[in-house]
Amino acid sequence: MLFGIPITGQTISYFVLALIIMISGVMLMSLNKVMHMAVALGGVFLGVAGIFILLGADFVGMVQILIYAGAITILMVFALMLTQRGDDTASPSANGWRTAGVLVFVVLLCGAFLLVLRGTTWPVSQSAVNPYSQPTVNLIANALFHAYTVPFELVSLLLTVALVGAVVIARKEEE
Amino acid sequence: MYANGFLFVIIFLALGIILPVASLMVLGPLLRPSHPTAAKTSTYESGLEPVGDARARYNVRYYLFALLFVAFDVEIVFLYPWAVEYHALGLYGFGEMILFIVLLFIGLLYAWRKKVLEWK
Amino acid sequence: MERFFLAWQTSSLTGSSFLGMVIGAVIILLLILGIVSYLIYFERKVIGWMQGRIGPNRVGPLGLLQSVADILKLLIKEDVIPTNADRALFLIAPMIAFVPSFMVLAVIPFTATHVFTAGLNVGALYYIALSSITILGIVMGGWASNNKYSLLGGMRSAAQMISYEIPLGLSILGVIMLSGSLNLNNIVAAQNGHVWFIIPQILGFIVFVIAGIAELNRTPFDLPEAESELVAGYFTEYTGFRFAFFMLAEYVYVFAISALAVTLFLGGWSGPFLPSWLWFAIKVSACIFFLFWVRATMPRMRGDQLMSFAWKVLIPIALFNVLLTGAVYEIHL
Repeated sequence: MLFGIPITGQTISYFVLALIIMISGVMLMSLNKVMHMAVALGGVFLGVAGIFILLGADFVGMVQILIYAGAITILMVFALMLTQRGDDTASPSANGWRTAGVLVFVVLLCGAFLLVLRGTTWPVSQSAVNPYSQPTVNLIANALFHAYTVPFELVSLLLTVALVGAVVIARKEEE
Repeated sequence: MYANGFLFVIIFLALGIILPVASLMVLGPLLRPSHPTAAKTSTYESGLEPVGDARARYNVRYYLFALLFVAFDVEIVFLYPWAVEYHALGLYGFGEMILFIVLLFIGLLYAWRKKVLEWK
Repeated sequence: MERFFLAWQTSSLTGSSFLGMVIGAVIILLLILGIVSYLIYFERKVIGWMQGRIGPNRVGPLGLLQSVADILKLLIKEDVIPTNADRALFLIAPMIAFVPSFMVLAVIPFTATHVFTAGLNVGALYYIALSSITILGIVMGGWASNNKYSLLGGMRSAAQMISYEIPLGLSILGVIMLSGSLNLNNIVAAQNGHVWFIIPQILGFIVFVIAGIAELNRTPFDLPEAESELVAGYFTEYTGFRFAFFMLAEYVYVFAISALAVTLFLGGWSGPFLPSWLWFAIKVSACIFFLFWVRATMPRMRGDQLMSFAWKVLIPIALFNVLLTGAVYEIHL
């Protein structure tokens, strides 16, 4: 027990993943070159995928890697290639006062969060199921194709509209 | 235990990082020479002096293919759970999926007709 | 001995089963390094024979130590970092490309007892998802080099790999429908004693092979590395061991995609009389030989045909295969 948190494999993994997400997130905000930011963004996505897997949602975790860490990051890189000329995008350099201000703000924010999180009684699910008793893919399939048929079909409509929109925008760009 | 499988994956991740780090950053500097000169570290351009910057603006087609890729990747994500539960879902699920695939295929056909699938 | 390596799969984690897990992963790493060294040797030998040449024959008996000599040479070569390159990205790009190539091997069932295998319930998706991260490493390597050939090669590679990843993902849907699982262990079990999935899924298999070769950037889809126009493609500026890691990633994927093809379509480790690991090795070797054979036979594809082929031919065929598999099953019912 450390600060009232039991030390198990799960909590250790959680804190490591949280650290990865936070470090990548801070790098994403503070790096100067946009291409470095794209890589940091990939790091954030991978950390989030780890959290999903830790919570027993292995399928969602893999989807996170496939769609976000893979596809969306590459989409970002291609978009940067499209707009970028040379080594631009230097953000205003930080001076001493700015850094100090940011640090104070971060400490205050963390303190406020800690107080709120510690002060709240969270509802605990009574049905303590083993997260891996059944492959999550099957559960998702049953939910998606029985309970949520209409939203599912609407998703395909949305994807089609997105495809058509992408084509229209790209053709305009070319002219 | 099922969850242990992911620990096995984490060990693969760790080994996959350790191998390059050990050979590039620990073992490498001990073995390889390091005598950089201005000519050696200049950009390679078939022996000529490099002209301009490589990072010019790229064709919009690359971005378009990336967009198509994201859309179809999302489609794959929906197809996988359906394929796994295919036997249990039966005819109803099959009908749902036909509608889904047809709608997406219309999007592909639109891109096809507008000649954006060609690489020029 | 095998019980020691299997302990973590069947019971909770203890010190000794964790040790078994770590040693298992190290064994796979050493095995893959050995396999890759000799893949390169056999590729040169096989293509040499097919073209009426001898191939490497100087270092060691029959040239068997050629790859060892090559690796040693790369290890002691200077690591040149171009002045104009983006240093940080230039240094980590080979790692981004290599790590996923090794990680995908964690889910491949090598033997009947699934030793050295993480039997994830999302195994097939795990492979597809992880291998897409390598694309990021390649395009980053090309961009960081700040060289025209590299950047053009990296962009072409990425555009090609994302285009062919879609048919690759769609082509294995038929197999998933037949076996009802994403777990590669279960997919092999569904074929064990039955007909291999290559027979009912021949259409899916053809799409898988074509898309798989394109994902590997190998002939006839090697436009990103077309040496006659792009020098070496995205790793033009890379030297020494950093270059070696890009090459290593490529050849680990050669093994991995062959292992995946065997697992999904050719019955994995199943087969009569011989031990399961030997069956697996024989089938994977046959697949890899096929890849070498294709490289020695086929000319390079034309650039303008490459992208439209994925979107206009392979994706429609793969979608049709899904509908066909579904329809045949519904009629049978």
